[in-house]
Amino acid sequence: MSNGSEFYFYEDRVEARGIDMRLLRRLLSYLAPHKGLIAIALAGLVLGTACQLVGPYVIKLVIDRNITPRTLDGMVGRIALYLAALAGGMGFLYLQMFTVSIIGQRVILAIRTEMFGRLQRLPVSFFDRTPTGRVMTRLTSDVEALQDLISSGLVSTVGSVATLVGISAILLWMDARLALVTFAVLPALLLFVELLKKFIREANREMRRKLARLNAYLQEHVSGVAVVKAFVQEEKSGRGFDARNDEYAAESIRLTNFYSVYFPGVELFASVAVALLLWQGGIRVIAGAVTFGTLVAFLEYAQKFFNPIKDISDKYNILQSALASSERIFQVLDTEVSPEYLPLSRGRKPPSEAAEGAPGEGARHSLPPAIEFRDVWFSYPKATGEEEEKREMVLRGVSFALAEGETGAIVGATGAGKTTILNLLCRFYEISRGEIRLFGRDIREIPREELRRMISLVLQDPYLFSGTIRENVEAGGAELERAVEAAGVARFAAAWEGGLATQVGERGGRLSVGQRQLVSFARSLARDPKILVLDEATSSVDPVTEHEIQGALGKILTGRTSLVVAHRLSTILSADRILVMHRGKVRETGTHQELLAARGIYHRLFTLQFAER
Amino acid sequence: MTRDAIDGISAPDGGARVVRAVSWMVLFASLHGGFRYLGRRGMLVTARRVEMRLRREVFSHVIRLPLSFFGRTPTGDVMSRMTNDVSAVWLLLGPGMLTLVGTAISYVLALLFMARISVTLTLASLALAPVIVYTSREYGKAFHRHHRKAQESLAAMNAAVQENVTGIRLVKAYGLEGREEKRFHSTCREYYRQNISLSKTSAAFHGAIGLLAGVGVAIVLLMGGWLVIRGRLTLGGFVAFNAYLAMLSFPTMALGWVINLFQRGGSAMGRINEFLAVHAEPWGAVLVPPRKVPGAPFLEVRNLSFDYGGENRGEALRGITFSLRKGEIVGLVGQTGSGKSTLFSLLLRLYPVPPGTVFLEGRDVSGLGLDEVRRAVSLVSQDPFLFSDTILANIGFGRDVPDEQEALRAASMARFRAEIEEMPDGVQTVIGERGISLSGGQKQRATIARALLAGGELLLLDDALSAVDSETEQEIFREVLSVRSRTVLFSTHRMASLSRCDRILVLEEGRIVEQGTHDELFSLAGVYYDLYSRQMLARELEAAP
Repeated sequence: MSNGSEFYFYEDRVEARGIDMRLLRRLLSYLAPHKGLIAIALAGLVLGTACQLVGPYVIKLVIDRNITPRTLDGMVGRIALYLAALAGGMGFLYLQMFTVSIIGQRVILAIRTEMFGRLQRLPVSFFDRTPTGRVMTRLTSDVEALQDLISSGLVSTVGSVATLVGISAILLWMDARLALVTFAVLPALLLFVELLKKFIREANREMRRKLARLNAYLQEHVSGVAVVKAFVQEEKSGRGFDARNDEYAAESIRLTNFYSVYFPGVELFASVAVALLLWQGGIRVIAGAVTFGTLVAFLEYAQKFFNPIKDISDKYNILQSALASSERIFQVLDTEVSPEYLPLSRGRKPPSEAAEGAPGEGARHSLPPAIEFRDVWFSYPKATGEEEEKREMVLRGVSFALAEGETGAIVGATGAGKTTILNLLCRFYEISRGEIRLFGRDIREIPREELRRMISLVLQDPYLFSGTIRENVEAGGAELERAVEAAGVARFAAAWEGGLATQVGERGGRLSVGQRQLVSFARSLARDPKILVLDEATSSVDPVTEHEIQGALGKILTGRTSLVVAHRLSTILSADRILVMHRGKVRETGTHQELLAARGIYHRLFTLQFAER
Repeated sequence: MTRDAIDGISAPDGGARVVRAVSWMVLFASLHGGFRYLGRRGMLVTARRVEMRLRREVFSHVIRLPLSFFGRTPTGDVMSRMTNDVSAVWLLLGPGMLTLVGTAISYVLALLFMARISVTLTLASLALAPVIVYTSREYGKAFHRHHRKAQESLAAMNAAVQENVTGIRLVKAYGLEGREEKRFHSTCREYYRQNISLSKTSAAFHGAIGLLAGVGVAIVLLMGGWLVIRGRLTLGGFVAFNAYLAMLSFPTMALGWVINLFQRGGSAMGRINEFLAVHAEPWGAVLVPPRKVPGAPFLEVRNLSFDYGGENRGEALRGITFSLRKGEIVGLVGQTGSGKSTLFSLLLRLYPVPPGTVFLEGRDVSGLGLDEVRRAVSLVSQDPFLFSDTILANIGFGRDVPDEQEALRAASMARFRAEIEEMPDGVQTVIGERGISLSGGQKQRATIARALLAGGELLLLDDALSAVDSETEQEIFREVLSVRSRTVLFSTHRMASLSRCDRILVLEEGRIVEQGTHDELFSLAGVYYDLYSRQMLARELEAAP
C-alpha cells in the first residue's frame, strides 16, 4: 500500500483573500443533516468550557475561605468540587471532540462520495483537460482541508469565543479594574500575533511549495534513474536536487526564524500581563480592595485567556484555505454532466426524422444500417472561452454506413481522425454538426443505458482494473464462460493456479501485454454486444502472441457489426469494408482489392506500411 | 522566582517592594524570551542544516546505486525513506532535542525552586509525573499506529481514484459508474473508520491528560492548603509553587512525545543507513585502463551470460557472442522475453558485466570508467521516459548545458522539430504533469533526439519506434545512418524495418540462434524465417493472383 500512491505533489496556489459568504453558506449546508450531533457538540462545548472556568474560581474560594483564614472547614468539599468540575470538563471535552470529528468525517464522506459520483458523469473532455493528479488533489487534499475546517476550525472557534466571553465576564464580575489591567496588553499582543502570522503563513505556504517541488523532482529521478545512468548525468541530477533542497532548507530556516520570534514573543507578552496584574493586583490586595484569592484566580484565568487568542488567527487561516479548497471542489460539483446522463429531451426531434421515409428508399432497404455517420463535423472541446470557429475540426463531413453484421476497418495516417470516430460512436463527445445513427436512431435519442448495452469498446491500450481476471471480464457483462473461451483467455488462464481468479495487479501489470489484450477482448464479448468498437493496439508484441490475438480477433469480429481502427494487415484484409480516412474525411471506401486497384491513398498507405524490403 | 518574592511580600505589607519585584520579573521575562529565541533558533536552524545535508547525501548516494537496487526496491519505498524518514530525523534533531533540553532545564530549575519552597509538596506533586509521561508516550504510539493505518487507507482510496480516472472511458463505455461508486465508497468508509478511531484516541488522550493535570493541581491545593494552614508554608510560597507546577505541566506531557520522536527518529536513521550501506556502482576504471586495439571490431561480445539473480528466473542471457564493425547497422529480433532489453542494458553496463565479455574497440568495458562506457553508447529504451521539464532540458539531458540549436538539430533528425516549433513556447515548452502531455510517438521521438544529441558512437534502439508510423521510422533511420561513424544496434517487432540492416541477430530464450543477412537467415528456414513469414504471410497470400 505504501508504494508511491501516497505521493502527490500537486500544490494548488492558495490565494490570500477575504471570505466569500456564499461559499461559506453552501459549505455550511452540508452540516444541516447533522443538526442533532451539532447540538450535542455545542452542548458539550459550552458545558465543558463552563466546567473548566469553575476551576480557578474554586481555587480562589479555597484561598479566601480556607487558607487565608487558616481553617480546614469545607476545604475538602471545595477540592472535591474542583475535581468534579474538572472531571465534568474533561468528559464534556471528550464528548465534544469526538462528536465533532464524527460530524467532520461524515461531511467529508458525503462530499467525497458526491464528488466521485459527479466525476463518473462528467464528459470525457473534462478528463482530457484535467491531469489525473489534479483530479486526485480535489478528492484528497482539498477535501482534507474542509475536514480541518469542520473538525478543528468551526467548532473550536465557537469554543474559543465561548471561553473568551466567559473569562471576560468572570473577570469583570470579580473585579472590573483588574480585568481591564489584564486586557491592557491585548491590543499589542494581537498586533504582534497578526503581524508575525502574516509572515509565518506566507513562509509556510512557500515552504510547502518548495517541498512539493523537491519531492516531485526526487520521485521523477528515482523512477527515471535508468535514464540518468544511461546518460551519465548523476552529477547534474545531484546539482538539480541540491538546488531544490537548498531552496527548501532556506525557506524552512526562514520559517524557523519567524517561529523563534513568535513563541517567545507571545510568552513575553503573557509574562508582562502577569507582571502588570501582580503589580496592580498586589497594590489592591494590600489596599484590601480585592482578596488574595481573587488575585490568584485572575492569574489562572489570564493563562486560559491567552491561549484562544493565539489560536484565533490560525482559525482564520484554516477558514481561508478551506474556502479556497471548497471553491475548487464546488467547481467540480458544478461542472455540467455529460449530456447522456441527462433525461432525454422530449421536445427535441432529430433533424433527420423526416428523411427517414424519404422517397427512393425501397422495401429492400427497409432495414436501416447498423451504424451510419451523416456529414459529421467535430472538433475536440478546448479550454473555455475559445471561439468555436477557431478550433481545428478533426472530422469534416464524415459520412458512411455499415450494415448489420458488417466489419468496417478504418485506416489512415496518424491524426486523420480514426480514433475520433470511435469516441463519437461511444458518445464520449458531442458532435458539432451532422448526425450519428445506430439502427436508424439518432445516438442522442438513445438512452445511455441502452447505448452502453449496445456497444462494446476495446481501447488501444488494454486497460484492466485491479482485481481478478473474472472480475475484469464480468465488468463487461454476464456471459463469462463464452467470452473467455472465444477470446482465448481460458487457455492461458487454465495454466495458472488461480485460473480466472488470478489477480491481474495494478493496471493488469501482472499479465503480459498480449494477455491484457485478450482479457480486454473477453470483457467486450461478455455482454454479447450488437456493435463492437475496437481500437487496435499499435504497440507490437511478439509474433506468437500476435498470432493468438489475430486468431481471437478473427473469431470476435466474424458476423458481428464492428468498427475497427485497424493496424494489422490481417484485420484490414478480413474487413467487409475499408474506410480510408484522410485529414478528417472518409476519402475512399471499398474492399481491399477495389482500393488497391484504385491506386489512391489506400494504395500508398498499404505500400508504406507493409512494403517488402 | 520573582513571583515568589512578590507574593510573599504583597500579602503582609509594603508597596515599594512589589514594584521592585515586578520590575525584576519583567527583566527576567525579557531575558528568558531572548535566550529562548537564541536557543530555539540556534538548535532548529542547525537541525535544518543537518537535515538538508542528510537529504543531499542520501540522494547523491541513491542515484549512484546499481540499477538492480531499484529493481528490488519499489519507488514508494525509496521515496518514503527520503521524505518521511529524513523528516523523522529532523524531528529528532530539531524539535526533539529542543524540547528535551528545554524540559531538562525547566525540570532542574523548577524542581530546585520548588524544593526550596517545600520538599514534601514537591514530592507529592511529582507523584503523577510518571503516569503523565507514560500516558503521553502510549498515546504517541497509538496515535502513530492509527495514523499509519489511516494513511494506508488513504493510499488505497487514492489508488482507487487514480484507477478510475485513468480508465474513465471504460467506466463509461461499460456503464460501470455504479460499480465504481460502490468500490470507492467502501474505500472511503474504511478511511472514515480509521479517522474516527484516530480521533477517539486523541480525544481520550486530551481528556485524560487534562484530568491528570487537574488531579495534580488538586493534590497540591489540598496538601499546600493544609501546609499553609499549619503555618509550614507561606501563602506566597504556595502561589509560587502552583506557578512552577504549571510551568512543568507542558514539559511533562512533551516528555512522552519526545521519547516517541527519539524512537521513531532512531529507527528512521537506521533505515536511511541501510540505504547508505548499499554499495554504489563501481565507477572508476582499473589502475591501467585498457587501450584501444587497432583493427578490433567496434563492439565485441564474447560468451556473455547474465541472470538477474533471485526468484529462480534463470539466465536471461546465455553465451551471447557477436561483434559489430564501425558503421554497421544490425537488427535484433526475438520474442518478448528473449533477452533483447537485457542485452541492451548490459552493453551500457547498467548491470555488472563479467570481465572478458564485452569489448569496445578492443577494450574490456569492465576495466573502463562507467562514464566512458555510457558516453560511448547511447540507449533509447522501450519505455520513453521524459522528465517534467522543458523540451530543451529533455533533449539536452545528456549534455551539461543544453544548446538550443543543437537540440533543434537533433529534434529535426528525430522528425520532432516541426511539432516543437508549433508548441506555445518552442523548445522551452514544459512537458509532463505540469505542462503539456506528449503522445506516445512524440515521446519516442523526443527520446531519440535526446540520444542523438548525447552523441554516443554506438546507438542502441530498443524497440524505440513502435509508436511511430513506418514512414517516419524510415525517415529517422535515414537520418541516423547519415552519420557514417555511427554504429547502430536496434531491436524491433516490425519485420519490415529490418530491411536496412547489414546483419540481423535472432535471439531466442537468451541465446543468439541465428545471425546473418536477411537473405541468409531467410534461406535457413529457421526461427527468423518463422517470425518473418508469419508476419508476411497474409501479404504474400495477397500478392498471389
